[in-house]
Amino acid sequence: MEPVTLTLMIGVGLAGAIAFIAGIIEDAESDAGSASNPNSQVQLAPQIGHIIRYYDKAIAGEPPQNGLWAAAACTIALVVSWRFLDLGIGQYYAVFFAAVVGAAIVCLVQGCFGVFAHLSRIASFNPFKQPLYWDALLTPLPYSMGLAFLTALLLTLLAFITGGLLGNPFAPPLLALIFGVSLGSIASGTGDIQYGAERLYQHHIFGSGIQISKMGDIDLKGEYGFRNSVDTPYFCMRLGGTITAFAFGLIIFLDGWTRLFTFAGAWTSVILEAIVVIVLFIFLVWLEKFTRNSYGPYPGQEDL
Amino acid sequence: MDPITAMIGIIIGGVIVGICVHFIPASAVGAMSASTGIATGPSMLSAGCGLAGLYAAGYSIKLGLPITVVSGALGSALMIICTMLLANAICAFGTGVAPVAGTYEKDPITGWRQKPFMSPGTDGHSMPTTTALSGIIGALLGGGGGSLVFASTYGMLTEVTTIATSTIITIAGMIAAGVFLLNCVLPAYVLVGKTEGMTDPKMKKLPKTFVSCLVSSIFIGVFMYAAVVVI
Repeated sequence: MEPVTLTLMIGVGLAGAIAFIAGIIEDAESDAGSASNPNSQVQLAPQIGHIIRYYDKAIAGEPPQNGLWAAAACTIALVVSWRFLDLGIGQYYAVFFAAVVGAAIVCLVQGCFGVFAHLSRIASFNPFKQPLYWDALLTPLPYSMGLAFLTALLLTLLAFITGGLLGNPFAPPLLALIFGVSLGSIASGTGDIQYGAERLYQHHIFGSGIQISKMGDIDLKGEYGFRNSVDTPYFCMRLGGTITAFAFGLIIFLDGWTRLFTFAGAWTSVILEAIVVIVLFIFLVWLEKFTRNSYGPYPGQEDL
Repeated sequence: MDPITAMIGIIIGGVIVGICVHFIPASAVGAMSASTGIATGPSMLSAGCGLAGLYAAGYSIKLGLPITVVSGALGSALMIICTMLLANAICAFGTGVAPVAGTYEKDPITGWRQKPFMSPGTDGHSMPTTTALSGIIGALLGGGGGSLVFASTYGMLTEVTTIATSTIITIAGMIAAGVFLLNCVLPAYVLVGKTEGMTDPKMKKLPKTFVSCLVSSIFIGVFMYAAVVVI
């Protein structure tokens, strides 16, 4: 086997694995801070008379927010890694430790962002008599910051791996921005459904969908005491986080995998990607059929 | 690439990026399984999928325009199909609802009835077959359009300037990412947070998106031409 192919194979495997873990962590981070579309439910709750203890840092869409963390961490990491290289540190160590520095700075920025976002959100609930609970802010804050650190670190490493081992010609900060925005939109589109439609509404019947009239009637009691945002990620990580991870990991892995072959010259990856898209579409149709057969029509609506 | 051709490429690519948003099923209320479409805003989802296409197109940039555009289109399609498949999976196993569309009675491709499976008081859940196909068409358009902007900017800069190739690629990538973020947000004013793709009645408002994206793309294209060639 040629060494170039071996490097590529290692790069594809490593990139897929890191993307997978980044997917889990990013979904948990958004759930811990109610950062995505389900935040609308957290905001509706005080308006219908529910006093909540959720941490709500949703003042920006999840994709641009996540893209900002990843791009900022990667830019700092790139600059610091040059300095480390000047100091005579080996290049792999330099990149790794620089990534840790970049992610640590971004984690502090995310903490400030979260505090001010939560304060301003709760302040806007003042007409609905929602008090500002410090425990609702200070308990999930370090947790959310830790998850932001891991997300930024993993996306920075992923940017360096795809730039270095897989040979993507973009500069690592741009790659980090691309991954950040993509992962943000994937996590927002897949994993957060479990938070918004199941975790926030566990006292409603499973499979009933969330009617517009029920919106805002979210869970207030947790397994122990009042429900706050620390209670959320461990629940959503089991399915929501894994599904997000699968989606992002599959994209990065399959995109890299199609570049390992050369049977049709430069068009090989295009042909393979088209085949993969068709196969996944067939899976989608099969899953729709499976779901319809498993659950059947909604009770009382069989004849509609 | 001739700078004038490249400028036209940027304009066409920008317009296609704007149009793609109408095809990608997305709805913010989808996060509560209360509406058909991927559970996030159409604009941000289109930007995310377009950027994934840009990442794929980056590998092929030195191999010519056609392969770059096709790579970008398929990279976007891969992203959107993975997201839709797994969003359907989480709706099936996490929230217990089947994919249902709100805008048609019977699925035009599979012929499956939709209404009996829709929870009362909602507009649908996740992505049935036709809606998913619309998403793939949208992603192909968006990824292709974004990659056209990317390849055109790259072509213009390599033709006129003497900047190092690696820097040119990153600059072109940033321009393409900027076009994505700009032209994906413009259709949000007609979609107002929700679309079911090609079966949605909001497709009739496509001309408005076309005009607004054309104007913004002409600004970007002319500015790029002026910045690179004239100045």
